[in-house]
Amino acid sequence: MTCEEFRRVLPELGSGHGFEQEEHLKSCCECSDLLADLNAISQQARLLQGSESPSPWVWNSIEVALRQEGLIRQPQLEHPRTPAPLLGWRLRWLVPLGATLVLVFGVLIYQRGTGHPQVVQQPSPPAGVVTANLQPADVMGGEDLQLLKSVGERMPSMRATYEADLRSVNAYIRDAEQSANSNPNDEVAQQYLRNAYEQKAMVYEMALDRSLP
Amino acid sequence: MQRATSYAVVLILVLAALAAAETSRQEMHFKVGRRASVSIVNQYGAISVKPGPGKVVAVTAILYSSKVEIDHSKSRRRVAVFSHLLEGADAETGRVDYEVLVPADASVTLHSMTGPLHVEKLRGDMMVEGSTANVDVRDVSAGHIHIKTLNGAVTLTNASDEHVEITSVGGDVALNAVNGSLVHVNSNSGKIHYDGDFGDAGDYSLTTHSGDIEAIAPAYASIEVVARSVQGTVEKDFPLEPEHTSFVPRAGSAFAGTMGEAASSVKLLSFSGKIHLKKR
Repeated sequence: MTCEEFRRVLPELGSGHGFEQEEHLKSCCECSDLLADLNAISQQARLLQGSESPSPWVWNSIEVALRQEGLIRQPQLEHPRTPAPLLGWRLRWLVPLGATLVLVFGVLIYQRGTGHPQVVQQPSPPAGVVTANLQPADVMGGEDLQLLKSVGERMPSMRATYEADLRSVNAYIRDAEQSANSNPNDEVAQQYLRNAYEQKAMVYEMALDRSLP
Repeated sequence: MQRATSYAVVLILVLAALAAAETSRQEMHFKVGRRASVSIVNQYGAISVKPGPGKVVAVTAILYSSKVEIDHSKSRRRVAVFSHLLEGADAETGRVDYEVLVPADASVTLHSMTGPLHVEKLRGDMMVEGSTANVDVRDVSAGHIHIKTLNGAVTLTNASDEHVEITSVGGDVALNAVNGSLVHVNSNSGKIHYDGDFGDAGDYSLTTHSGDIEAIAPAYASIEVVARSVQGTVEKDFPLEPEHTSFVPRAGSAFAGTMGEAASSVKLLSFSGKIHLKKR
């Protein structure tokens, strides 16, 4: 058997080979090395497939994000055209007028009802949250406020939920940090801190999820 | 008075008829291979997933207005269905309710802000996310379960040989007959309830910030347990064999010990909530 003949049947050999191929491998270092290299590559590829191949969720998430960003679309689908705005441009002056009327009406009703100057109240955190040492001003950082602004623009109905959750998570982080600082070698205190940050990451992840409105 | 009642009934009927006229139903069927991956992304509305016959993904969608439509994509092993909100859609007009049948070995990814989300009798992995959506997963086995909610309650029932990770800020979490090599619950203000035998020689970690934890186990449970609350109280109905810990157990706020052969590791941790390890 020549080298050329051996290489021609090489893809069909699989894990075993016949007498002829065996004899050729004994006498030909080049083909023997080639076979060893191919076997090594094949084994490494199998390992790579197990450890490096991303989950189908990853592909799904990428596709969802691309779709929502409008970077890919499904050619066979025909979406109806975006409906026209409810108010034509000629009637849009009614919007600020209506808003003003509602505001004036609200102020009048409020003043008649209470007779006291208006006091802005901070939203109270959810029941059970530890807030003994918290000042409302430093509970929400600049990034949190930015996030809430983004949520308010995209999902106005969810803003209050996110605000309450951020306050709650920040309170957890504050408590966990104090505990971890007081007991730096305490594994449980470290776990509280990890969990608190994991929750904050989740809130951010959900708020910034582009597959939602 | 009678006339007013009649008018009200007629009005309700007319409104109901109008609402019914707005809803529409879509059905889709996709042939898939083994261990398919199915993803449903729905901004507003329910998603229910159950096993169906054969290697087919069957999706039935109820759309509540013309301001939302359904998109989908498919390959041999993957099906993705999305609710696509059009201009002016809100939580009512953008609502879609999905009922989905998948092969029992399929992996599912579900996403809805309002939910509810329901999965049952599957053997594949599942990722379930909802903001205020309540999540109910039951009768599942041999997969990875990841559940995330902001304030939605989570119920996981009859899950065996699972790898479970649940994170919720304000939702209560209830685990009934849940066993696995890893069961982690990370909550903030929600309560955590576990009723099971802590089997499978697993690593169980139930942690909250201010919520209470109630764990109910049988007398034959084989566990090594640590319970600590920084500001709350801890209580147990079991006599535990004492063991060496890295902290000093203080009566009323921490305990640690073993039962049986201590096959599973159980951590019950709350910052300011109450913890109770109950005997079933």
